[in-house]
Amino acid sequence: MDQIITAVIAIVGVPLVLLGYIIFGEQIIERLPDSLQGWIRPYFWALPAIGFAGIFMVYPLIRTVILSFRNNADTRWVAWDNYVYFFTFPDTLTSLRNSLLWLVFYTFFSVFLGLVIAILLDRVRYESLAKIAIFLPVPISAVAASIIWKFMFDYQAPGSPQTGTLNALVGAFGQQPVPWLVNSATNNPALIFVGIWSITGFCMVIISASLKAISTEVLEAARIDGANEFQIVQLIVTPLLWPTITVVGTTMIVNALKIFDIPYVMTSGAYDTDVIATQMFRQLATSHNARAAAVGVVLFLAIVPLLVVNIRRFQQQEEQR
Amino acid sequence: MSEVFARVASRAIAAGLGAVMLVACGGGTSGGGGGSSTDVTVWSAWGGQELKAFQNVLKPFEEKEGIKVHLTTVRDANQLAINVDAGTSLPDIAPGPSVDKVKDWIDKGVMKPIETALGDKFNDYIANTYPALTTASGDNLYIAVVGGKHYELMVKTQVKGLIWYNKKVFTAAPPKTFDDLLAIQPPAGAKLFCAGFESGDASGWPASDQIDNIIMRQSGEKVYTDWINGKQKWTSPEIKLGYQTFLKEVSSANVYGGPNTALSTNFGRAGKPLFASTPGCLFLEQATFITNFFKEDYPNLVAGTDFDFFAHPSLNSQYDGNVNGFYDNFAMYNDTPAARKLMQYMATSDAQQIWVNAGGTLGAIKSLNYTDPIFKRAAEVAGTAKNLLVTAGDFMPSDMQHAFWKSLLNVTKNPASLDSELARLDQVQAAAYKTS
Amino acid sequence: MSVTTTTRETTGARATVSILERFGYRLQRLPLHLVIAIFVAIWIVPTLGLIINSFRSVSDMSNAGWWTVLFPPHGFSLASYQQVLETENVATSIVNSVLITLPATVIQLAIATMGAYAFAWMKFPGKDLFFIVIVGLMIVPIQMTLIPVLQIFKVTGLAGTFIAVWLAHSGYGLPFEVFLLRNYLGGLPREIFESAEVDGAGHAVRFLRIAVPMTIPAIASLTIFVFLGVWNDLLVSLTFLGSSPNRPFTVVITQLVTSLGGGWQFLTAAAVLQMSLPLAVFIFLQRYFVRGITSGSVKG
Repeated sequence: MDQIITAVIAIVGVPLVLLGYIIFGEQIIERLPDSLQGWIRPYFWALPAIGFAGIFMVYPLIRTVILSFRNNADTRWVAWDNYVYFFTFPDTLTSLRNSLLWLVFYTFFSVFLGLVIAILLDRVRYESLAKIAIFLPVPISAVAASIIWKFMFDYQAPGSPQTGTLNALVGAFGQQPVPWLVNSATNNPALIFVGIWSITGFCMVIISASLKAISTEVLEAARIDGANEFQIVQLIVTPLLWPTITVVGTTMIVNALKIFDIPYVMTSGAYDTDVIATQMFRQLATSHNARAAAVGVVLFLAIVPLLVVNIRRFQQQEEQR
Repeated sequence: MSEVFARVASRAIAAGLGAVMLVACGGGTSGGGGGSSTDVTVWSAWGGQELKAFQNVLKPFEEKEGIKVHLTTVRDANQLAINVDAGTSLPDIAPGPSVDKVKDWIDKGVMKPIETALGDKFNDYIANTYPALTTASGDNLYIAVVGGKHYELMVKTQVKGLIWYNKKVFTAAPPKTFDDLLAIQPPAGAKLFCAGFESGDASGWPASDQIDNIIMRQSGEKVYTDWINGKQKWTSPEIKLGYQTFLKEVSSANVYGGPNTALSTNFGRAGKPLFASTPGCLFLEQATFITNFFKEDYPNLVAGTDFDFFAHPSLNSQYDGNVNGFYDNFAMYNDTPAARKLMQYMATSDAQQIWVNAGGTLGAIKSLNYTDPIFKRAAEVAGTAKNLLVTAGDFMPSDMQHAFWKSLLNVTKNPASLDSELARLDQVQAAAYKTS
Repeated sequence: MSVTTTTRETTGARATVSILERFGYRLQRLPLHLVIAIFVAIWIVPTLGLIINSFRSVSDMSNAGWWTVLFPPHGFSLASYQQVLETENVATSIVNSVLITLPATVIQLAIATMGAYAFAWMKFPGKDLFFIVIVGLMIVPIQMTLIPVLQIFKVTGLAGTFIAVWLAHSGYGLPFEVFLLRNYLGGLPREIFESAEVDGAGHAVRFLRIAVPMTIPAIASLTIFVFLGVWNDLLVSLTFLGSSPNRPFTVVITQLVTSLGGGWQFLTAAAVLQMSLPLAVFIFLQRYFVRGITSGSVKG
């Protein structure tokens, strides 16, 4: 009960506090000389946001990098030991390999399918309904999606009735059931597929919005000139959508590297399905903080190029403002 | 305008500050302070049936003593360790830690001696409990005996490595040796064994039980204990032989549905084919708690009439006295009057009898009543064991245990990978047993 | 005369041709519809399967697939829901999820709006640098920050409390929200603010009476996003509340999975319960949802 009260207080209290902060603070600031005002005010307003970001992201980031060079109990420096561990142990290397697989296939297929579905749906009258169907997995949690697909991939002994939808279909074609999540050839693709399934709707919605912005005159002109549909998609639509595709693509790449929930819930990383984030969590859960930090740093380094791309793109847009 | 603002502002500030203070004070504290004689906080990892049984055990205690027990289910065994490291508040009573932490926590005074908790009831406890659980010459970190003092209270026991069978299907005499077991011809359509290794993040643990029972009977307790302590290499001939023997149990010829089924089936459902109208297998190797799972799938089964067990067959007659068991224990982390009373209660046969009556477990006390013929016999097995050896993985560093489980899953899937898996385990062993 | 006859003849001919055309057109379109139907099936059937399974008993589920429900006996049962809700910790965790999500959402949006206003409408030295850092932070994986933040919580005694995750979620969500809102706020017409300033309104008034009301659409969409993000979160809660009695529903579900004694069958009801809130939000607030996504990622 008192927890509910605490929550209500937080919901009501925090905006009130901020309100007070603004109003009261502005009262004070307005009494200051003009030159000082212009200097203090912005920092005053931005302080909570900068403060939070600083405490929860900037400081920990730096601290994690430092920690990766120390031992787990944080009592002495061990230089590259944790990184050596990362690159020599088969488990951590497997997680690196798997993250790369996610990077390539998750990104490519979610964007590609998003594009294809957006284009296809554009041509039918029941577009909105179909869009809802495809988008449905997006708001649900990865935990729920993992459970949904765990049942789809279910495996029973050959000869017993199959309870998993996929193996039932396989059986309908006269084949033996496949242990999707156990077989090395199928388990990573299966997990990546669940990821793609969950996020394609997101890509589709964004791409569709841009698609609709393409002027019909351009397309009509091309059709009159004799181009067939495939050519139109390839030579006109895709290039015009390219900026949107890159934005969506970079978002997907970042997602792919951060993937945690799906492998964690569906296989707990067993049978070589571990990814960097689950590997890191395992190290953390067994109190190997420094090793977990090293794994985190490797993950971060993989993301840095995207950081640079994003920042550069942002700066370009700023110039256009 | 500015006056209006000032008024609004000051009211807002007051409200805001008040809110902040309430939030700061009200957030996150739970009931029960130190030195309490009316409340006690307990953590356990149990869920489902086991949890219900524990709640039934606690009820008479709460009624009689008037003490409120705050029970939290904490599955992750590392959480307690995290709290100990951080110096944050600990539950009054919770299971003891993994063996690598026992000495450290005892030295730091984190765990309080059972002698203190039980007071004058301590001697009774020692007299009544299975000796394998409480006697040690010198320090024994498995049962948390250090410097002559005990730090863990044993409340429940399980015996593992029992071979379960459907009485209506298997009517011959139990095989004496492992080779005899392998030589049995199952009826048409059935295989020798059923197995189920899936268990979420802990997948592979049933397999580790199977191999534990092999190694302890094949190579003896010295090898077994050295292996747990990281002194026996995984690539050594004894351990390799253990793996090879294990592989016979899960080969596609011997296990129901082949290795893939063993890997994909949840351990609780592994016994289903035993009782199917066309039996899928003859035997399931599991601990005493599996009987509850049998009854979940087939509620009409009667212990002793429909199903029974025989003890794990011999691999080397020299080591027949080694039995695999595990025990649930509690340690006291805060010495409060209420906590002491609860510990004393859990050491009584009244409390443990309730556990036993719920089914699916043995108590730690020797003299309990078992109406279930199965458990009566299992109690005899526990009582006559020369060495009640723990489950190896539970007492290895968690890195090692996890790698161990994974290796079993991998070799079941791909027996040809045995040598590379064992080499990998040696690599993990070298890193995991280092104290850093 | 001859003109009239030819016209009628050509109308008749054209009419026949156009029926054929339309049929042929429809036939041509069949593959399109088929492909779309397959996609829609792939995206709907799995969820449907789970929902159907959640209304069956455990023994039915482990013996036959969900599609057998279509044929008698249908085997409808609420047993799974009963079981899950009776399971220790589940009901509490659902409440916890609500208690975590609402405050976390409110806190971060309030702070973000303030900060975004500053970045959008005030000039100050270092503003660009700060903002670039924020843009960069949007990409940083949360995993990088878990350990030190965990230590901060331990030191301040907040470990395992609701406050910890409120603050953590806010910290992690702020970069993206500040970025988005700054773009939106920056797009508001300058004249409105300038004329208000001329009228003697200070920044507080301009913010509260002009900026915020005009930003409501963006804030509304963002709220939905943030809300669902926190409701669905696993990693942050797992790390900071893993064993605390305050842990939310998502964490409890995964722990049901990994417990010794679990079976996946018990999770169907839990999963359906967990996803019913996001699905309800989506169905009723679709417009804001979609607008939120598209405005965030498509520039201009």
